[in-house]
Amino acid sequence: MNISSFIRRSNMRIEQLRELALLFIIILIVLFFGSQIPRYFTGTTFERVGVNVSIIVVVAVGMTLVVLTRNIDLSVGSTVGLIAFVVGQQLSDHHNLSPVLAVLLAIGIGTLLGMLNGLIVAFGKVPAIVTTLGTLAIYRGLLFAYANSTSIHTQNLPGWIIDLPRVKVLTIGDLNITFLVATAIVIVVIFQLALIYLPSARRLYAIGSDPETALTSGIPQRRLVFFAFTICGALAGLGGFMYLAQIGTITTVAAQGLELEVVAAVVLGGVSTLGGTGRVIGALLGAVLVGIIEQGLVRMQFNEFWKQAIEGLAILIAVVSDSALRTRLRISLSHNQAMPISTETEKAGPTL
Amino acid sequence: MKAITRANWLKSWEFLLFVVFVGVIILNVSLSPFFLGLDNLVNVLQLSVETIMIGLIMTLIIINGEIDLSVAAVMGLCATAFGLLYQNGTPLPLAALLTLGLGLLCGAFNGLWIAYMGLPSLVVTLAGLVGYRGLAYVLLEDKSVTNFPDEFSALGQHNLPGLPIPATLILFAFLFIIFFIVLHYSAFGRYVYVVGNNKTAARFAGVNVRRVKMILFTVSGFMSALAALVYAARVGTVRPNVANGLELDIITIVLLGGVSIFGGSGTLIGVGLSMLTVLSFRNGMTLANISGSVQTSVIGVLLILSVLLPNLFQEVQTRWRQRHYSEQQVQAGKERDVETKQPSDVTP
Amino acid sequence: MTSRIFRFASAGLVLVTLVALSVASPSGTLAQSGTPAATMSGPIATAQPGQNVSLTLLPKQLGNAVFDEASSGAQEAATELKSTGKYQMVGTDKADVPGQIGFIKNLTTQGVNVIAISANDADAVVPALKDARAKNIKVVGWDSPPSKDGRDIFISQVDFSFAGPVMADMALHILGADGGKFAILSATADAANQNIWIKSLKDILKADPKYAKLNLVDTVYGNDDAAKSYTEAQGLVDKYPDLKLIMAPTTVGIAAAAKAMQDGNMCDKVKVSGLGLSNEMASYARNGCAPEFALWSFKDLGYLTYYTGYLLATGAIKGVAGENFTAGRLGNYTIQKDKDGGLFVLLGPFTVFNKDNIDKYAPLPAATMAATAAK
Repeated sequence: MNISSFIRRSNMRIEQLRELALLFIIILIVLFFGSQIPRYFTGTTFERVGVNVSIIVVVAVGMTLVVLTRNIDLSVGSTVGLIAFVVGQQLSDHHNLSPVLAVLLAIGIGTLLGMLNGLIVAFGKVPAIVTTLGTLAIYRGLLFAYANSTSIHTQNLPGWIIDLPRVKVLTIGDLNITFLVATAIVIVVIFQLALIYLPSARRLYAIGSDPETALTSGIPQRRLVFFAFTICGALAGLGGFMYLAQIGTITTVAAQGLELEVVAAVVLGGVSTLGGTGRVIGALLGAVLVGIIEQGLVRMQFNEFWKQAIEGLAILIAVVSDSALRTRLRISLSHNQAMPISTETEKAGPTL
Repeated sequence: MKAITRANWLKSWEFLLFVVFVGVIILNVSLSPFFLGLDNLVNVLQLSVETIMIGLIMTLIIINGEIDLSVAAVMGLCATAFGLLYQNGTPLPLAALLTLGLGLLCGAFNGLWIAYMGLPSLVVTLAGLVGYRGLAYVLLEDKSVTNFPDEFSALGQHNLPGLPIPATLILFAFLFIIFFIVLHYSAFGRYVYVVGNNKTAARFAGVNVRRVKMILFTVSGFMSALAALVYAARVGTVRPNVANGLELDIITIVLLGGVSIFGGSGTLIGVGLSMLTVLSFRNGMTLANISGSVQTSVIGVLLILSVLLPNLFQEVQTRWRQRHYSEQQVQAGKERDVETKQPSDVTP
Repeated sequence: MTSRIFRFASAGLVLVTLVALSVASPSGTLAQSGTPAATMSGPIATAQPGQNVSLTLLPKQLGNAVFDEASSGAQEAATELKSTGKYQMVGTDKADVPGQIGFIKNLTTQGVNVIAISANDADAVVPALKDARAKNIKVVGWDSPPSKDGRDIFISQVDFSFAGPVMADMALHILGADGGKFAILSATADAANQNIWIKSLKDILKADPKYAKLNLVDTVYGNDDAAKSYTEAQGLVDKYPDLKLIMAPTTVGIAAAAKAMQDGNMCDKVKVSGLGLSNEMASYARNGCAPEFALWSFKDLGYLTYYTGYLLATGAIKGVAGENFTAGRLGNYTIQKDKDGGLFVLLGPFTVFNKDNIDKYAPLPAATMAATAAK
């Protein structure tokens, strides 16, 4: 049975196939590590990966929305750092600031920063890579200016935020799901459902897939791209709050380089940088894969200098296999349905 | 590729850059009396010589509609390999040759996936960015190599006997001339533009698109390796984290030079002016003791404005025409503008 | 529609700018550490106040709390000496070697009197510094010194070879007579200071039998990144289930490790120690996650660096071994020569912080006190 008939028979979308493959790879890797590392299959491992990955997952969900529209947001690292610091400062100065307000402040600032990106990209028509390269520098500069040679210390923060990473939401036997991990899971579920059921969310796929056609078919492209960036900023804001809770001591170089990890997770998860394909679940799986590899390497007493090299290789393999998969599918499906193969720059796969 | 006639030069990006450049010089002179000293003027370029070297090939790559995020990582890897080879007794010239070869290999590897497998360059070179840097760490781990021979370091640090400029700048000038001739006066240069404008049309017109891309990425690897050698001579110490993050600076300078991220337009003159402008600007700010992060933010703002302002201006112009002219004239105006500006604004 | 968005967005921009500009920096003054003893022979040079000495502090990078402290100390000295020359701190925003070289060259062009540098790479900066010295600029190294050819003198915060014994003693104190397993969480793998300190620790562990029961099982690197250090600390605990102590000779690493242990409820089993800033580690000293850790006063380091630079630039001292001088409130110092011929001045001994003395160095801020009182 070849892939195309398998897909048609099971009514599966191409992304689901990709994600299944990713899940399969994750299982393989977990089994491998389990055989090499004693005490691997315990709740601790899950907790470790969960904690390390939850911030990236939250930001990656936002990044997915942006990448779906054939854009990118490189400023998320600076956004996370800036918000972690600002919220940390406000909490240090005003201990009676309620947690809800603190979270709202984080999301609010993130929303504003995301809106600025969205304005420039959607309405100023500046390409996303240029815009967010610029805002990456500008937001980091704002952080330097705001911090004015100080940093946030745990002794100044109210107890509840320091203890937040310890708060358990659910305990299943050996497995503890902490608040931060639960937040990440909830965000993934919300946005995954939104992308499936909300019509305006689904239009994001159309924009990324074929911008010209989307425009002529009346999709309010600029508004939707603006919203994508806004939500990406809001989620980065939430990520900033989570970063503050987890790390505690915030300096001006906080979260530097986070954007690359998030893009890597998104790409590994099957969200194509050409737009139009990929799901939030994919980004989650991508982040989990990187987290598991990193966690396994740390525990295996592996020469940790190999970690980055392996990560690069993994991204390459993911992209190659993505491309190969899509090309084969496109060709075999078009043979069966007499659909013309497009010779333009790679489209995001057949419209099923 | 558009012909730069005298008529449209005044409207062009290059002219705007030139005006900004003059403005920056004036600003710098007023901010600090030290700016115009010969030593300082040499420093403007010398301190970033690796950036501008790689910027030359990056210009061609972006005009070609691609991007190479891995240049700094390849530079780091080559610097590390060079140091390691030398430390283990390889004679310096041989080590240098092997390093250049390594750069070629890395570039070719990138090119393989991008040119022949058709993968998007953003993600392939993103993988390279992470992967090559990782390899650099595997090679040298936590150590560094420092004791290069004096003659080698002199090449990077001191002026050539009798001349007021160091050897590295002469090398750069030489490279600039070569790239300029190739891009603007050779067939290959025309292919670079054409492929960047429309890959499919180029292929149907008989251009070997794959070969063009392969060559560009291979040369990119080579230039990164060359920059690594220059760095080793100039700074005298190599570690795995050499040139960390340099790719952003390089891309910023190229984009500010008027090269469209969509491909198909831009000139080396523009990029050359951008190099002078950005580096003078940074130098001036450093002389005025403005901190690094402010400098970077300002450049970020400039980068955005460089695309935003022309777009807004264009928008205003169109709307003004719509109110005052007939539809025909508006359309004609738009067509005229398309020739002198960046391509389609349909895609966000 | 578009205009609505623009209005909304510009309001938002104003808000963001206001938030960013409302600088409310908490004051963090480190208490002074002890005064160094001195039995001096020979004349003791003193500084002539009011002279025109321009000094620039050039740390490894900006935005790092320890360097900001050093700068405040240098500023204090400048004010005390009533220097009419300009004091400033400049630097790159990442710890970047060519960038720092660029600053050295630019400072040389400007002709400052003293460059006080904490170098990202001891050797790479030497050629540029030599050029500066050729133009009669004094170069004072501090924290992370350039190699001896590039500097006139190095203000050594502590005797680096004491780092090992101090850390070993803290480990012994925390682990007790029965000893146990401990691991090191360092900064970047190529960090010069950390590598020197770790080597001195390993040397003394081997050499002195009283540390025989201390078992160093591993050394990992957090790259001076908070998130990575956090992960590495967790990894250590997972790898070695009977690990009792994480020793982190880096302010970023120790704070991250302490948070990681606290978040994982491991503070009873695994303690954290090393080199940490008193105000960053204060909460962990109080709650027992980091019962002991050490550092020196960066503020004093900056203060002494300024004084030494001033004395050199005004010719009050020539910068040769054996010279004595007075540095304001810190007392008297002597220039010494170390094994490789480089000149240095020793600031003083380590200060060991624990919950008994932490309040002196990092008093609880008013907001926290009010909150605790209200409970």
